[in-house]
Amino acid sequence: MTESTGIKTEETKLLPGDLAIWFFIFAELLVFAIFFIIYSIQRLQHIELFNQYQATLNKESGAVNTILLITASYFVVRAVQSIKEDKVEQCIKWLYASLGMGAGFLVIKSYEFYSKFSVGIDLNTNDFYFFYISLTFFHFLHVILGMIIIFAVIIFAKKGKYSAKEHTGIETAASYWHMVDLVWITLFPLVYIIR
Amino acid sequence: MSKLFNTTGVWVTMIILTIFTYSMGKFGYSGTIPVLLLLLTVLIKSTFIIRDFMGLRGVSLLWRGIMYGWLWIVVVSIAITYLMSTH
Repeated sequence: MTESTGIKTEETKLLPGDLAIWFFIFAELLVFAIFFIIYSIQRLQHIELFNQYQATLNKESGAVNTILLITASYFVVRAVQSIKEDKVEQCIKWLYASLGMGAGFLVIKSYEFYSKFSVGIDLNTNDFYFFYISLTFFHFLHVILGMIIIFAVIIFAKKGKYSAKEHTGIETAASYWHMVDLVWITLFPLVYIIR
Repeated sequence: MSKLFNTTGVWVTMIILTIFTYSMGKFGYSGTIPVLLLLLTVLIKSTFIIRDFMGLRGVSLLWRGIMYGWLWIVVVSIAITYLMSTH
């Protein structure tokens, strides 16, 4: 708070973006946390099964997807930095680049799903595949939503809605996207690697 | 410029940690120490996301507490269940 005497006290930063999205982010993180913990407990009860079928997962796809999501997040950060400098066109380019990374993730993940479904593996196959499919598909849907939000923000940006003074929408979209990345950062080692 | 360098540095570091995670899996490392190392990389990468990408550095302790609390509860839960599975 800047006092009338002109003395500035230390100011706590506000959460970036709309407060409402943060409640949504917290709720989503809670759901994923429960999912991760239940997965871990189930793994504890079926270690051999989980180790056996984890070996059938494509670690290369998982790793590439992790890099794609991290890079998408980086591009989103660059987009936010650009709008803070009033560089709207640059901001839009970074957002398009992040969509490109997201699209890459969806393509690779879709192929992973196809490779499992095409050989008859589904939610009912066993406990491991139930968790693998439901966890990653639930995350997949969040990636799609994140991309829709970013695309909506691109449209608004093209209409001149955002500037250095007002860019709450971009920060809101960015915050949601980073949550999607944050979840995958735990999901990849937990489901694909830890044995 | 230094902000850009920090952001880019964080991105590159996270990619390196991802390659490390993948390598651990690819070469079949398992057991307590490798898994704890993997969970450490999760903590580091997630902290980068929360602090630097989400921009929560300097935000009120309540919000940072919720985010870091989520992270630590998840990682510690995974660690505990893993350690239980090895005994």
